[in-house]
Amino acid sequence: MSIQINLNQPPFSFLSTEQRQWLTQRLDLVFFQTDQVILDEGQVAPGLFIVYKGVVEESDGQGQVFSQYGSEDIFDVRAVLESACKHRYTACEETLCYLLRADDFIKLLDDSDDFSIYFKTDLGTQASLVEQRDSGVSEFILARIDDSAMRPPVYVNGQTNLARVAELMHEQKYDAVLVRSSRGIGIVTGTDLLKATLMGDKTKQTRVAEIAQYDLITVEYGEFLFSALLQMTQYQIERVVVRRQGDIVGMLELMDMLSLFSTHSHVIAMRIEQSRSLKELVVAAQRLDTLIRSLSDQGVKMAAIMELVTTLNRRLLQRAFDLIFPPRLRDRVCILVLGSEGRGEQILKTDQDNAVILKQEHEREAVMPLLNQLHQALLEFGYPPCPGGVMFINDSWINTVEGWQGKVGRWLNSGSPDAMMNMAILMDGEPVCGDKNLFDDVKARWQHSDLRSSMISAWFAKPALQFETPLTFLGKIREDHGKIDIKKGGIFPLVHGVRALAFEHAVDACNTLERLDWLQQHQILDEEVVQGLKDALLLFVRIRLRQQLAIKADNPGLSQQLNLEHLRSVDRSLLRHALHRVKKFKQLLVHHYHLESF
Amino acid sequence: MRYWLRRQLPGFLPPEGRWRHLADPYDGDEVVVLDCETSVFDKRKGELLSVAAVVVKGQEIQLSQALDLTVKSTAKTDENAVRVHYLRREDRHLGVSSAEAIEKVLDFVGNRPICGFYIEYDRAILNRYIKRLYNFKLPNRFIEVSEIYVNQKRRYIPELQLDLTFEGLAKDLQVPVIERHTAIGDVISTALMYIKLTQFKR
Repeated sequence: MSIQINLNQPPFSFLSTEQRQWLTQRLDLVFFQTDQVILDEGQVAPGLFIVYKGVVEESDGQGQVFSQYGSEDIFDVRAVLESACKHRYTACEETLCYLLRADDFIKLLDDSDDFSIYFKTDLGTQASLVEQRDSGVSEFILARIDDSAMRPPVYVNGQTNLARVAELMHEQKYDAVLVRSSRGIGIVTGTDLLKATLMGDKTKQTRVAEIAQYDLITVEYGEFLFSALLQMTQYQIERVVVRRQGDIVGMLELMDMLSLFSTHSHVIAMRIEQSRSLKELVVAAQRLDTLIRSLSDQGVKMAAIMELVTTLNRRLLQRAFDLIFPPRLRDRVCILVLGSEGRGEQILKTDQDNAVILKQEHEREAVMPLLNQLHQALLEFGYPPCPGGVMFINDSWINTVEGWQGKVGRWLNSGSPDAMMNMAILMDGEPVCGDKNLFDDVKARWQHSDLRSSMISAWFAKPALQFETPLTFLGKIREDHGKIDIKKGGIFPLVHGVRALAFEHAVDACNTLERLDWLQQHQILDEEVVQGLKDALLLFVRIRLRQQLAIKADNPGLSQQLNLEHLRSVDRSLLRHALHRVKKFKQLLVHHYHLESF
Repeated sequence: MRYWLRRQLPGFLPPEGRWRHLADPYDGDEVVVLDCETSVFDKRKGELLSVAAVVVKGQEIQLSQALDLTVKSTAKTDENAVRVHYLRREDRHLGVSSAEAIEKVLDFVGNRPICGFYIEYDRAILNRYIKRLYNFKLPNRFIEVSEIYVNQKRRYIPELQLDLTFEGLAKDLQVPVIERHTAIGDVISTALMYIKLTQFKR
C-alpha cells in the first residue's frame, strides 16, 4: 500500500530504498478531531507523528504557541527520544497523522547513521530555538562566523622587508598580514612593526619572517562569533585567524565584529540616545530595518518585534523632537502618532500619520517652522509622507484642545464615512512628545457617553465590512492572479472591528492585542474569539513582513500584496484559517451592530 | 442428523473446528473495516479479485497490520470494472488463490465486528466463498457506515435528502478519498468515515 506522503525528502531520503520500503509498512494512520490534544505535556509519545493532512499546533498549554505543523511535518522527536513530551500538541483542524511507533523509529535510527545524525542535529537546533525565545540577548550570541564577518587573508612572503610590509598594510587598509615562511605561517601586525623598529633593533630592511609570530590563535569557520570574542579577551589580541577544515580562510577583526553587533537593538537604542545631530539619528533609523530583518530571520516572535520596534520608533521621534524644539516650546505642544504607529503595530516604516495638539492657538506661528523641520527629519528617517495628508504640517491636523474636542463632536455627529475614518485614525493616537496630558482632554471627549450612541457606534463599525474577505464560497482562499491584499482582506477588518468595539466601550488601550485583552476581561468577547483574532493578526503581520523583507523597493513597508505562491503550505493553510476567523468576526459585528439594515 | 442438516442447509449452522471462535461473542473495542473488489458487480457472479481490511481501534487505523490481498483469478473482467478497480487479468497473476485469501481474511477478522460501505455486498461475496469452502456463513456483527450516517443526519432533520454515494459521504464528512477503487484505499476512507461518525464528539 502506498503512503500518501513524499518520503523522498529529508529526513526519509537519508534512508535506503529497502529501509523506506520497510518504513511504509510500519506506519499507522490516526485521525484527530478539531481541538483534540494529540500529545500533552508530560505524556509519553507512542511514536513519531507525520502530518498527512491538517494543522497541528505546539504550545505550552497556556496560550503561548511555539510552532505549527502542516503536511509532511514531523513531531515530536524529543518526546520519543527523551522520557516525556515537553509541550502540548493540539489539532487545529481535523488532522490525519501517520504514526511511526517509537520502537520502529529507534530501530531506523540505529540502522541508519545519516538518519540519526539528522535527528540529533535537529535536536540541537530545536534546543537553541527554545533558548532564543527565552533570552533577549540571543540575537547576537547566536550569530556565527561566516563570510560577512571576516576579511579575506592577505599574505606576504617571509623575505619581504618591513618597509614594504608597512606600505602594503597602508594600501590595503589592513592592520595585520599573514607571513609565509619556512617556519610556517605567521602573523605580523602594525603594532609588531612599531615595536620591532622603534623599540627594538630592527631596520626597514629586516625580513618580515624574523619578527612574525607563528603561534596563531585560530577559530573555526561556522563557530559562534561569541567564542571568537572570548579568544580575543583571553589572549588580549584584536584579531583571530579563521580556519575551515585546517585551511586559513580569513581574519576576524575585533573592530569588524563590533560593527556587526551594532544592529543589535541595545546598540541602536544607545545610538538614538547619544546622537547629537539629526544626521546621526538618520544613521540609527536606517539600522532599524536591518534589525527587523535579523530579528525576523531568527524567528523572534512577532509580538516581541512589534513592541521593540514601536519603542525604538518612538524614541527616534522623541530624540528628533528634543533636537529641534527649544526647551521653552517643548511643553507647548503634544505630538501624537496615529494609525498603526499609534497602535504600536508598525514594523517596517509606513507613511507618517501624526497630529499636534497646541496649548495656545496664538503659538501656532512659532511652532509651525519647527513642525516642518520635524516633518523633514521624519522624511529623512525614511517615513514617506501620508497620501491622505494626515500629518501635523497640515492645518486640519493641528488644533488646540478645544479645537480637537469640537472637531470630534462634529465628526461623530455627521456620521459620514470620511469623518468616521478620521475619528478612527485619531482614536488610535498615542501622545509621544511634549505635554502628554493635553491628549487626555481630547480623549475624554469621545469617551463621553452622550456622543457614543449605538447609532454612532454602528456607523463607526461599518467600514469593517467595506472589503470582502478573500475566501471563496467553498472556503478556499480567493486569489487574484496568485495574490491577495492582506490589509483589505484581513488586517483592516480585524483591526477596525476591534477598534469599533473599543470605541463603543471607551477602551483606553490603543494596541489591538491589548484592546482584545480588555474586551475579554470585560466579557464582551469570549476567550476563544479573542485568542483566534490575536493569532490571526500576528500571522497576517508575520507573513506580510516576511514578504515585504524580500521586496527590493524603496518602501517595502507600503506593500500589502501577499503572493500566495511564495507561502509555505503550512502558512497557506494557516492563512486560510485566519481569514475564516476574520470572516466570522465580521459576522459577529454585523450581528452586534445590526449592520444588515444599513 | 447434524451431517444431514449440513448437507441440506448449507451455511445454516455455525462454524465448526478451526473457525469455531468466529461465533464467540466479541467484547473488545476494535472493528475490522473491509472491502472487496470483484470482477463484475453482481452478488452471485462476481468473482473475488482483491480484498483489503484494517483494524480500527479508537481513532487509530492500524495500517501497519493491514490485509491487502490480490486474488489469482482468471475470471473475465468487463472493461467497465477494470476502469473501476484497475485490476487487469495480468495484475492478478501474482495474487494468491481464492481459498488462501478467504483463509487469511477469516484469520484476520476473527470474531470482531465487520464494517464497510455497502457491506451487504462484501458480506454476500465472502459468504458465497466461505459456504463453498467451509459450509458456514460469517456470524460476525456487520456495521454499515452509511446507515450510521443516515441515522445521525436524520436525528436532526428527518426528511433530509442525502447523497449516499461513497463520494457524497466522503465529501459531506470531509474525509479525504485515498486511491478510490483500490480495495485498501476504499478501506482507509471508509475507516476514516467510521472514526468520524463514531469517535468524534459533536
